Amino acid sequence: MPTTTITKSLFVALAGGLLAGPVSAQEENKLYLFNWTEYMDPAVIQAFEDQYDVEVVESYYNSLPEMTAKLNAGGVSQYDIIVPSNYYVPRLIQSGLVQPLDKSKLSNLDNVMTEFADPAYDPGAQYSVPYQWGTSGIVYDTDTFPDAPKSWSLLFDSDVNPDQPFALMGDGQVTMGAACAYLGNGYDCDDPEAWQAAARLLLDTKHRATFSGFTDGTPVLQQIQRGVVRAGVSYNGDYLQQKQENPEAFEHIAFMIPDEGTEMWVDTMMIPAEAPHPTLAHQFIDFVLDAEIGAQLSNYIYYASPNRAAQPMLDTVLTEPPVLPTDSDRARLAFTPSLDGQNLQHFQQLWSEVQSR
Amino acid sequence: MRTSRFRRGLALFWWLIVAFLYLPLAVIVFYSFNAANSAAYFAGFSLRWYQRLAHNDQLLGALSNSLILGIASSLIALIVGTLIGYGLYRHRARRLGWLIVLIYLPIVMPDIVFGISEMTFFVTLERHFGVLGPSLLTMIIAHVTFQLPFVALIVYSRFVGLDPTLFEAAKDLYASPWQRARHFLLPTLKPSLIAAFFLSFTLSVDDFVISFFTAGPENATLPIYIWGAIRRGVSPEINAIATLMIATVMLAAILSLLFNRRDRPGRDS
Amino acid sequence: MAESPFPLAAHSRSISPDTRHLLWSIAPGAIWIVIFLVLPSLYLIGVAFMTNGAYGQPQMPLTLDAFRQLAGFGFLGWSPGNLYTLLRSLWQTVVATGLVILIAYPLAYYISTCREKWRAIMLLAVVVPSWTNQVIRAFGWMNLLSPGTPMAETAQFLGLIPPNMGLYPSNFAVTLGLIYNFLPFMVLPLYAAFEKLDLSLVEAARDLYASPVSAFRHAVFPQTLAGLLAGTVLVSIPAFGMYVVPELLGGGRAMMLGNLVANQFAGGSNWPLGAAGALIMLLATLGGLYAMRKVGKRLGGGEEVVI
Repeated sequence: MPTTTITKSLFVALAGGLLAGPVSAQEENKLYLFNWTEYMDPAVIQAFEDQYDVEVVESYYNSLPEMTAKLNAGGVSQYDIIVPSNYYVPRLIQSGLVQPLDKSKLSNLDNVMTEFADPAYDPGAQYSVPYQWGTSGIVYDTDTFPDAPKSWSLLFDSDVNPDQPFALMGDGQVTMGAACAYLGNGYDCDDPEAWQAAARLLLDTKHRATFSGFTDGTPVLQQIQRGVVRAGVSYNGDYLQQKQENPEAFEHIAFMIPDEGTEMWVDTMMIPAEAPHPTLAHQFIDFVLDAEIGAQLSNYIYYASPNRAAQPMLDTVLTEPPVLPTDSDRARLAFTPSLDGQNLQHFQQLWSEVQSR
Repeated sequence: MRTSRFRRGLALFWWLIVAFLYLPLAVIVFYSFNAANSAAYFAGFSLRWYQRLAHNDQLLGALSNSLILGIASSLIALIVGTLIGYGLYRHRARRLGWLIVLIYLPIVMPDIVFGISEMTFFVTLERHFGVLGPSLLTMIIAHVTFQLPFVALIVYSRFVGLDPTLFEAAKDLYASPWQRARHFLLPTLKPSLIAAFFLSFTLSVDDFVISFFTAGPENATLPIYIWGAIRRGVSPEINAIATLMIATVMLAAILSLLFNRRDRPGRDS
Repeated sequence: MAESPFPLAAHSRSISPDTRHLLWSIAPGAIWIVIFLVLPSLYLIGVAFMTNGAYGQPQMPLTLDAFRQLAGFGFLGWSPGNLYTLLRSLWQTVVATGLVILIAYPLAYYISTCREKWRAIMLLAVVVPSWTNQVIRAFGWMNLLSPGTPMAETAQFLGLIPPNMGLYPSNFAVTLGLIYNFLPFMVLPLYAAFEKLDLSLVEAARDLYASPVSAFRHAVFPQTLAGLLAGTVLVSIPAFGMYVVPELLGGGRAMMLGNLVANQFAGGSNWPLGAAGALIMLLATLGGLYAMRKVGKRLGGGEEVVI
């Protein structure tokens, strides 16, 4: 019977394929880096590849929820390095998605600035090493808003911005924090009452005709360049990087830290619990902690470096606003609170309500 | 006459819909040659976005992933699906309602449900048994699953269009089933097998949602890359990639038209 | 030929060669679909009844929490967000399917009346845009509808949208995207129906009834009903679960069930809640299939349910 043999051999081939698949899926000399978009200098990757004779495979995300979802969907055993922000660090540790660092493998650990060496989000820095730090603020078109107030009202008050399209950030915690700050409850509010007020404000804002959508920090810079929106929420370093790349388009686009307060964040390097190449991952972290590499990285992506040894080699633009906020602005910054248990559930209910109504 | 006015109205309607169908594609092609980064004005003809593509390793990797995925899954789907199509035809007198439902399931199921059920299933298998973590293999499996029914239906409808006496004649002519398959079935089926392969391939390249949920870190396909690029907001380059994909599809359409003309003088679907 | 409802049990004595042939030809594909689609779907249904872990992974004990959450009951009492999403999905599906029918019906008729050599080309012309990726298609509309484009400025001029805005993101853009995506799915089965149309019946009806409207109602429409219903199933079920179009063209104000489900897996991390939403879509799918079978049996004589 011809059909019989064909089918049989097909089954054999398929069964063979199924068993062989996972074995050959990941090779030894590869490092799987899961990072924010536009957040790495290709030359740094190249240098690491040359030094250790490996290949670095980069994947990207635009938001932390997106990153966590990928980790939960099998990524925990596929990526070697992830770059989450401070407020996701505790929940990654508690849910067992990351592994403790072997500090004996990190010879450059002393390069980390003292204020980042023992952070509240990861006491003793057992699991994380700081990558870069920065702020989230408002980007806006200065032609459209020549007299923009230094305030969240540019987004939330329809008297201040009656007829220009604007976007809010897709990360719920940042957007809720911004609404809290505008309402006078502080960016780092975390009690249900303040959140409910913030959620109500967001619902009203969302239903204004000029609201154009929830857009994350990197893409909103493209939208504002193209005139799709005139104001949005983005990150200081991404703003600066794009501005250096495209000065004429950004001539009339500004970055501002609202007086009501906003986010300061620290992005960290962590190793997923079942990372396929933990040794290589440690080598990579140590590589980034190197003074020269650290400086090269920051000079490329325009973010402030938590690397003390790298400071003398940083370009001057990295030592002034918006990368390093003025002292008065710095006093207005706060960490996004890390949520767990009931608090997290509260937040998620309110945020999904904002998204779906 | 009233009917002719009616027909002229219909013809006008037809051209309006054609415009509606091709306008979004035309806009992409048009702006891919725009010197400026804008969808609002055209600042002159330029190939700068295409030049950028040529140096984009990620994009080229995504392209090769799409091709491997498309070809591998289409080949498997072609073999397994042809068998179903043949079985359906040979045994069409039986009550195979349950099978029809099974075959229609992948066609009708919303791809988001399709994608997440595959994803949760594979992730759980990997967690407990260490097999089938998200990778090119899981993507191939998922793609074969939604291609199968289309292959089966194409092959089946080809058989239905045949004169049943041909089968009897073939039985007299060739003694063994093997000969029959080689000299009668395969040549008869050839056009529809080619059509089924190309349709499967198109479906595979066309799919975004299912690939998105079953892909591992190294398996970004072209649509996944484009999705990421849209989310990142780098539009002009997307116009250029999309234009290349649209051009490929148009080429495939023209080829299939020529094939149809040459291979099938008679009418069948 | 065996008349058993289930071929595996065709004969109690032994398996006939004919049945063995059936098994060998159909089993690989059927098993494939069962293992790689039916089993995963069943597993997903199981997840819907599990507990959401503290950080979004499904855990034991079995509970109905996910369904409670889907209905809107959370820590802070009842809220209508998910209900809005569900109603919006239904509304978008009904509007898009209705408009697709209104467009596809005359279109399919027109194609079927054209000369034979043109028909293949015309059908191809309708289908080809759907061969390009749906992400690309949505992106094309993003280009067309964003602020400053002729369409957006026309709409502003007519006062349909506020100044400075685009036509996307909006619910309107989502409806448009759905129609664009699913039009071919309606044109093809309708065309097949029109092509098989028994013209002698139409002629007879013309003589019988005075007005063309009643001739259409009595002679043409019933003959195309099967195609219409097949098309409705093929359009409405995927539209109900659409993810890409609302995500790209809706901009956060047009969330549909597909997005609610996807968000639980690609962001919010509440697998049980996502699975519960998916279960609703699965039920809609099975309902659609069932309806299509019923209709196919009654109208198509049982044999050709093929598109």
